[in-house]
Amino acid sequence: MMMYPLNSPDQGIVQTVRSMLQELLGKKLADAVLVLASNPWSDVPMPTLFTDPDRMEGVDPLAPVAPVSSARQASALTRSPSGKTVVLVLRPCEIRALIELVKLNQCSLENAIIISMDCLGRMENKIFSDEAKTGPGITERFLSSPELQGKITTTCSTCNDFLPENADITLCTLGAEPGHMGFEALTDKGKALLESLGFKKGDDLPKRKQDIAALADKRSLSKKELFDATALQMSTIDGFQTFIGRCLNCYNCRTACPVCYCKECVFLTDVFAHPPELLLERATRRGAVKMPTDTSMFHLTRLSHIGHACVGCGQCSSVCPSDIQVADMFRTVSEKTQAFFNYTPGRDVTEPIPQLVVRNGKRGD
Amino acid sequence: MSEYKPKIVALVCNWCTYTAADLAGTSRLSYPAEIRMIRLMCTGMIDQKYILKAFLDGADGVFIGGCHPGDCHYIDGNIKAEKRIGGTRNLLSQFGFEPDRLALQWIGASEGPEFQHNMTAFVERITALGPSQVADRMIL
Repeated sequence: MMMYPLNSPDQGIVQTVRSMLQELLGKKLADAVLVLASNPWSDVPMPTLFTDPDRMEGVDPLAPVAPVSSARQASALTRSPSGKTVVLVLRPCEIRALIELVKLNQCSLENAIIISMDCLGRMENKIFSDEAKTGPGITERFLSSPELQGKITTTCSTCNDFLPENADITLCTLGAEPGHMGFEALTDKGKALLESLGFKKGDDLPKRKQDIAALADKRSLSKKELFDATALQMSTIDGFQTFIGRCLNCYNCRTACPVCYCKECVFLTDVFAHPPELLLERATRRGAVKMPTDTSMFHLTRLSHIGHACVGCGQCSSVCPSDIQVADMFRTVSEKTQAFFNYTPGRDVTEPIPQLVVRNGKRGD
Repeated sequence: MSEYKPKIVALVCNWCTYTAADLAGTSRLSYPAEIRMIRLMCTGMIDQKYILKAFLDGADGVFIGGCHPGDCHYIDGNIKAEKRIGGTRNLLSQFGFEPDRLALQWIGASEGPEFQHNMTAFVERITALGPSQVADRMIL
């Protein structure tokens, strides 16, 4: 691993990273960049695909918000060969989701360069929007303020996978003094790119290991607390029903989920468009049935279909109109499912999907 | 409660367990009538939602019968089923479903007596567990 220091005391980190990405396009080292960027029409930055360096004034990859998981967008961009090199600036959880989508033959990373960062978490859109209004430079304020860092989502504050894997380049914010962060090249591709941009190899960030360990300890502790509490809450039929009782069957959680990839979801088919007599029969069987029906069926099916692939991005909770903590349920269950299959989603693109692949590691098709 | 008759769904593979059921029939081996058998081409086509639906629609037990490992007509469908069902059992146990209500057994085409034995034993097991809480309480 090699550290390339990024000395930017005057410019600020956001501008430095922005200039780096602009230079990438300017020097034709890449054809396009997918990155979070603010625009005049939205109060939260949105994933944006740039080809012109002069349009990149809103680029803000470290902004503590993610209105959608960019993994889906990255996958849309790489689902068939375009002959272009694209730079994907993604959070660690988005990379993990993208790796899962590669395994599912939804996209390919052949012509992609992935730049990521130590992830300090994201806020819910509303909270981000309110904080951003209190003054300029929300991203820089967030990076230096433990108080703002405390406003991240429950999912993020209980996530101990905050370092990117499978990226080419990491922007290291942990262990760095403000203005003295660094890029770390994780692959030869990343190293070549940084050197083409004129970065020089430098010393490791002195406090990095220590800061990572401290954050990992803190996050692991809160994760365990959350998972234990959620597991207990869901451990009975009534507890489970209480957990999802307010569900409207809007399927937002499924739409927002970066790994729930089926184009034709069974829940949108006629299989679940029950005729009146069936609804009445269901009600008769138990004396009552909640409507819309099949709520427990929906959540249990999703858990069993993609529990092994849950990367813990928390988007399902963020988009729930009924404030159900879907991600708490998903992450708690998925941790056990993943332990059962001895599988870690997003770790390695060659690691077979447990339910699809059988003996000898061969694909069952 | 001697009157309690469980509702059991059996999902069985066309090539082995269903053939074994046929053999049990022609050999005049009887098995409990609580079993509602559904024939599938392979246990590898069992999506987790078939099992979930059976339980949520009121089954007290779900029995899955497939070919012995190595004997699958489609090479490895039964191994896929084993993985999926293992995962489903693991999942259901976290929500207060009793995982013992879900069984997977390998029953070869020539094993008529084994079929009879397995069915009888499964019905006894579910009868001992009593009515399913899910069937009774889950209205969502």
